[in-house]
Amino acid sequence: MPLGGVIFITIFILLFGSLLLFLASKVGRKVSDPVKAQSYECGIPVQEKKDTKMSVKFYLTAILFIIFDIEIIFMYPWALTFRDFLDRGQGIYILVSMGFFLLVFIFGLFWEIKSKALEWD
Amino acid sequence: MGSDSLEISINVIKMILIFLMMVQAVPILVWLERRGSAFIQNRLGPNRVGPLGLVQLLADAVKFLQKEEFIPAKGIRVLYYAAPVIALVPATLAFLAIPIGAPMSLEAFELFGSEWGPYRFALQGYEVGVGIVFVLGVSSLAAYAVLLAGWGSGNKYSILGALRASSQMISYELALGLSIVGVILLYGSFNFSDMILAQQGPLAIKAFGRELVIGWLPNWGIFFQPLGAILFFAATFAESNRLPFDLPEGEAELVAGFHVEYGGFKMLLFFIGEYGHMMVASGLMATFYFGGYQVPFMSPDQVLAWVSTWAPGANSAAVISSLLHHVVFLVKIAVFLWIFIHVRWTLPRFRYDQLMDLGWKTMLPWALANTILTAIVIAVAAS
Amino acid sequence: MNATSGVLMTDAFLFWFLAIVTLVSALSVILMVNPLFSALSLVMSMVGVAALFVTMQAYFLAGVQLIVYAGAVMVLFVMVLMLFDLNLEKKAFSRGPGSSFLKIASVGLFAGLLIGGVVFSELMTAENAETTATLAKTDGTRALGRLLFEQYLWGFEVLGVLLLVVAIGAVALSRSKGGTHAKH
Repeated sequence: MPLGGVIFITIFILLFGSLLLFLASKVGRKVSDPVKAQSYECGIPVQEKKDTKMSVKFYLTAILFIIFDIEIIFMYPWALTFRDFLDRGQGIYILVSMGFFLLVFIFGLFWEIKSKALEWD
Repeated sequence: MGSDSLEISINVIKMILIFLMMVQAVPILVWLERRGSAFIQNRLGPNRVGPLGLVQLLADAVKFLQKEEFIPAKGIRVLYYAAPVIALVPATLAFLAIPIGAPMSLEAFELFGSEWGPYRFALQGYEVGVGIVFVLGVSSLAAYAVLLAGWGSGNKYSILGALRASSQMISYELALGLSIVGVILLYGSFNFSDMILAQQGPLAIKAFGRELVIGWLPNWGIFFQPLGAILFFAATFAESNRLPFDLPEGEAELVAGFHVEYGGFKMLLFFIGEYGHMMVASGLMATFYFGGYQVPFMSPDQVLAWVSTWAPGANSAAVISSLLHHVVFLVKIAVFLWIFIHVRWTLPRFRYDQLMDLGWKTMLPWALANTILTAIVIAVAAS
Repeated sequence: MNATSGVLMTDAFLFWFLAIVTLVSALSVILMVNPLFSALSLVMSMVGVAALFVTMQAYFLAGVQLIVYAGAVMVLFVMVLMLFDLNLEKKAFSRGPGSSFLKIASVGLFAGLLIGGVVFSELMTAENAETTATLAKTDGTRALGRLLFEQYLWGFEVLGVLLLVVAIGAVALSRSKGGTHAKH
């Protein structure tokens, strides 16, 4: 894999974007006004509450995403070598072994749906 | 990257050209979107600036250039300015890995007085052996641009919008990854070129040791994986934050979600990233399910043979054949991009909980069912 | 990777560049005050590690590193860090130079001890020599797939169960008292 090419084009894109932003910042005017620096809140002044609790749903979504992502990643080598196993006559073996894994996966998904872990209300 | 200076320089120029092509396609796409959406909504859209309103985007770009640059006081400078630039990277890296034309094999020729050896240029930014895994890997980095933009703005509504947007993106990455497993089962390879070359000629179903050829359908992946194609296409809508999965940048609800504090050219960079993701999604749809750069029913060798009959010399035949394939690829991408635009102005937006339910409770089980079914069908058909 | 393709793209230059990027980001994980910048430096070091995997021709591993580690686990880290008020964290990071140096030095020494013990053990080097020799001859990912389902099948299935346990545990943790999802 051409790693040098990937690194080169990544640096090129970053420089290109930075150059564009830099040029754009030089062309526009600059009138500083304290109202402009306030955070946008549909026109009303910023209201800060003392302890805003962010929902734990984001954490749960991300954790469950990691779990299922890892399981999906394990299916990639399986899918790649599927035909090789079939050609050697080990089709049942490969299907059954992945079948157990998928059973656990499906059970996990089913449990997670049933336990309402990802209810967004 | 190449073995001598001409090859290296051509490869480098190729990468830069494809990147610039992606950036330049954005004004065209936005024009298409604005005119197309206008016709869908029974109005005219931009038609004053230039013929058919084609120069509208240039005027908009100039306007954006002149906008004042500001950063909210509570923003974090580094993240605020870095996020739009980072938004460009994943889409571009993924697009550069997709083959956009047939590889051209050039024989030895003479240029600037010296002999340059036989070359083989692939019309891709770079050739990646593990194509799909690389594309998935860099696409999953797209969540960072969103998160950094939201946090760097220092506005709690931006942070909330960014968290919702990234939650949506990662939920649909599951369905995306799983529908790709069906494609890998079908073609037995990660490499894009292998997948494209496996879709040559007319539809040929190999089952139980015999082969059934249906001459009037091309050998495209969509006929083998219809459910997978639909799931993949729907998941890419969510990945690029396009309607109907538009809530994170919901223009009527959150004003603009994670990029509410951005204006001017920085916002334009976000849109280049979004359209870049659309182009990657269209390219992947074409590659997996619609034969990539190939002309339907004809393999690249047949096209090359046909071009050689009327082209002067073998090298120009290779170049013309590659360009022809490139045009076919562009046509296929254009069809999918139009579908993206059409769907945007046709379907209403999902509510956020409907969106997450769809991703986890509907698309993921269906993608699993698709994988299991594909595996069983392939196993049964090969026995 | 073509080692003869001009001076800029040699293996050595690429390795040193990637190694320095990875090390600098790894160092900034522990040296940055803002926890979010630490997490972002960790992302950068993981991308660097993925690129180093590519130089060792472990392409699938590099892709998995990007998809799972940099694209899922670190997204979790960054998202969770955004749920907190980080000003308290920044104040708690003691900035005295003496204590910082002692902390980093002791962690570094301990890590060196562990890694030295692992690397110089007989078991590790013998097993490594055998597998790299056989794997280097075939296409990496296909060999990985075959090994996974032939030699390490038991580990693969146990991994599925382990992931299930993690999922259930995460959901249970989210229902602890005082949180938004607590059972009343």
